Amino acid sequence: MARLILTFNKQVIKEIPVLKESITLGRNEDNTVVIDNLAVSGYHARIDKAGSDFVLTDLQSTNGTFVNNGKIVSHKLQHGDKIIVGKHILLFVMSAKGGAEPRDEKKLDMDKTMMLDTAKQRELLSKQKTAPADAKAVEKVGVVSFIDGSGLGDIELSKKLTKIGKADTSEIKLSGMLMGATAATISRRPSGYAISFAGGMAKLKVNGEVVKDSVALKDFDTIELGAYKFQFYQKDIGP
Amino acid sequence: MEIRASGLTDVGLKRDGNEDAFSTDDANGLYIVADGMGGHLAGEVASRIAVEMINNGFQRWARNDTPIEELYGMPDSSLTLTGNYLSSSIRLANRVVYEMAAEYEQYHGMGTTVACIHVSPTLVVAANAGDSRIYMVRDGELERLSKDHTILSEQLDMGMMTIEEAETSPLKHVLTRNLGSSEDVDVDVYEIEPSNNDRFVLCSDGLTDLVSDQEILYMTMHATDPEMLCRDFVETALRRGGHDNTTVLAVFVTGIAKPKELPFKKTGLLFADMIIGMQKMIKKIKP
Repeated sequence: MARLILTFNKQVIKEIPVLKESITLGRNEDNTVVIDNLAVSGYHARIDKAGSDFVLTDLQSTNGTFVNNGKIVSHKLQHGDKIIVGKHILLFVMSAKGGAEPRDEKKLDMDKTMMLDTAKQRELLSKQKTAPADAKAVEKVGVVSFIDGSGLGDIELSKKLTKIGKADTSEIKLSGMLMGATAATISRRPSGYAISFAGGMAKLKVNGEVVKDSVALKDFDTIELGAYKFQFYQKDIGP
Repeated sequence: MEIRASGLTDVGLKRDGNEDAFSTDDANGLYIVADGMGGHLAGEVASRIAVEMINNGFQRWARNDTPIEELYGMPDSSLTLTGNYLSSSIRLANRVVYEMAAEYEQYHGMGTTVACIHVSPTLVVAANAGDSRIYMVRDGELERLSKDHTILSEQLDMGMMTIEEAETSPLKHVLTRNLGSSEDVDVDVYEIEPSNNDRFVLCSDGLTDLVSDQEILYMTMHATDPEMLCRDFVETALRRGGHDNTTVLAVFVTGIAKPKELPFKKTGLLFADMIIGMQKMIKKIKP
């Protein structure tokens, strides 16, 4: 089975199985693969099935259709071909026939780690005059919101590691006799945010439970540190 | 703080050469694993250069307390100075591998992944590019401190593929980032507070292809020393076919004490002053 993997800015947007005899790519809604970007023509390109092969044809698009290194008018697609349409890249992937055990036949070359040549892609893209991109990725950032009347309000966790404590180098500075120089830290990890106890006499509690090491933070967890009390949540930030 | 660390690499059963490289540096607390790619000897060259360059860059900057503005590339304001040392040294290594690959024909297309950690009593920095991984075992739980930069993992992240589909996907080994393929590389860096008995495992995909996360957790938790653990991991990978080079690096951290400050230090001093003052007064009063 053949598939197209649509990527933008190195992010995979979606995967499209090529099920029909022919599919079209373009900005207009009635295309099989709709790419909503000004750099893409209304009807940009099409892919037709010819026997066991797939043929890509540029539909006289304004900005052209590229495969790997060159601009094409018509091109017989091969496994691993990168189709470049505007700023979007579609990776053409052929699974082994029947799709039962794709790994066995393709094993030799796919088991070996390889790198997508993004440098070349970028080079190609930069030569094209294209409209600004409509970036889609939504990023989240953690926020702590003080609910203890200390007047500290909401503080965004913009660092990978936020130190909380009495020391002047703390990102969130708290006072109190029992407060440690660094009493706790909040770190951003691949799996999300986590809070760790760092030192001092002030107890760290998350949802009422004392934390001696570290614990993962979920939205709206209540954190107590000595006399301070704050809530954690994540908010979307623009791309 | 006490660190015990050990690393081991094995060519495996199917490959002719070993394109992996690693380094352990207890004095600086820096540990690196790199998995090279590229024909002939290029993969081996890429991974070795990367390891060497990262070590050199990091050590030089850390030793001289280099200010953030003097590092290679734009500093990352979300990281500490140490985090920037590590991130910059990786980006510098990328530049060197990239230029070599562009300059010399025999090195065309070479690249390498990199996974490294820096451990100090107050901070652990983990950084990676590519699909070599960094695991942390803490409180009986396994946590990844690295991101896989593969098409597959990006699809998984976006919820477009299930884990079952991922296991059989042909895109498992297609990287979206590595060192050597472009002029600059985006490095994922994480900074965390260390904790007593933390254990870290850095490895190439030769291990993670054949040993599951659960097995990594179990074996790491029950290991008595890092050297044995590395040997166990490599032997397990070989028993299961060893289709790729396998590299494992284990770092065990103990003796991290969280500082307990003395809350009565200041009031105590005040009392002491008072008592001494009183004694002086009494001495003066007494004839």
